[in-house]
Amino acid sequence: MTDLDEGRYLYCVVRLDEGAEPEFSATGVDGEPVSVVAADGLGAVVHPCEALYDSDAPAEIKRWLLRHQEVVDEAGEAFGTPLPFQFDTILKGGDDRVREWLREESETFRTHLDALAGHWEYRIEVARDEEAAAEAVVEGDAELRELRDRVDEASEGTRFLLEKQYERQLRRELRARREAQAGSLADRLRPHVRELHDLGERRSTGLDVGEASDAEPFARFAALATDEGADALGDVLESIAAEPGVEVRFTGPWPPYTFTPDLGEDARGTNA
Amino acid sequence: MGSGGPTRRSDSLADVVEMLLDKGVVINADIAVTIGETELLGIQLRAAIASFETAAQYGLEFPEGTDMERVREVSGRSAHLEPLDAASGGDEDGDEGEGEDDRDRAEIAVAAPVDGPTVTDPEVDEDADPEVDEDDGSEAADGDGSGVEDAESDSGEGGGSDSADETSEASEEGEVSEEGDDDDD
Repeated sequence: MTDLDEGRYLYCVVRLDEGAEPEFSATGVDGEPVSVVAADGLGAVVHPCEALYDSDAPAEIKRWLLRHQEVVDEAGEAFGTPLPFQFDTILKGGDDRVREWLREESETFRTHLDALAGHWEYRIEVARDEEAAAEAVVEGDAELRELRDRVDEASEGTRFLLEKQYERQLRRELRARREAQAGSLADRLRPHVRELHDLGERRSTGLDVGEASDAEPFARFAALATDEGADALGDVLESIAAEPGVEVRFTGPWPPYTFTPDLGEDARGTNA
Repeated sequence: MGSGGPTRRSDSLADVVEMLLDKGVVINADIAVTIGETELLGIQLRAAIASFETAAQYGLEFPEGTDMERVREVSGRSAHLEPLDAASGGDEDGDEGEGEDDRDRAEIAVAAPVDGPTVTDPEVDEDADPEVDEDDGSEAADGDGSGVEDAESDSGEGGGSDSADETSEASEEGEVSEEGDDDDD
């Protein structure tokens, strides 16, 4: 794999107080010593490394990820909202090259750090009891009820086809209901956040370390909010969670991973 | 959940995984170490990420020489997924290409072997099953390098005996109601 003589594993870029030498140390991925490389009022939180972190062992990857996150958390506590980088981002060259890079990009970094200051990312997942939802749909839909009755009365030959028809229609209604509910959910959250990003219904990335037992959410959002905004979100979500059969997952504060800019051309299209 | 405030509990691992691997600033400049054009993640690591969307973005393929038979065997999943594709593929609206997606997903997911269902089960109450323990990574961590054992010990407590049926149901439901409108942005 890509080995390099001198590399710097990058966690995040932070804003530093003018003049002051940053005092920050942390234990990084694989126990490496983390420090801040400073230039131009900006700091790159890094540790020295010689190769990409790569493994096919989920437990090891998980350990790395949690450690990485821990470091970014500590940096955020020390310096305010950081600009978090993707896992396994490694800069070629030593501290001097990193400083040079900070200077080159300083305007971009400042703009984004200023914009994100005081804001953190929150993750919201709302799951619902699918059976209850289906029941509610059937109860509220005369056509479906009639179809269900016909299934019950049908002879064996026609029953199969009627059942298919019933299921298809139920799924269509469920999907419409899901979309409507997700939409109204977003409307209720939006006033309290600066940005709301729809993450789709399914996680884009997972790691098989036993995390897959979560209920399937029907709506997922990343929100960029202040502390006050997060409090208000909590209140809204609490009332949503009080509805029967609805489960809410609300995590944060996180560094604003979902609300980071693309740097350079041809950046992957998924970053919001 | 009940309490109003946000949490950072052990089950936040899923968030950490997604944010760190799929979000965050990506540098596309000479200064960054890359494999190929813009792929920052290690190859093995990418294979261990149970995601077809991400995999598709990266054009992920299994490393040369991966024993797919073994992978299927360990996962026990493909057997359920493929017949389902065939059975339900015909009665969907606007689901072009879903069968493909599901197959990709199955193959990628199995790079990290588990003995329970990987497709999430809508019936499982997340709070009742806190099997993600922040500490268990460290005990399995050093030395043995065996992803198989690690994964199995992690998921073993939660994988029920009825996993096969639930996997089928979950994947059918998932396919039916969730594909197609997943696009971010």
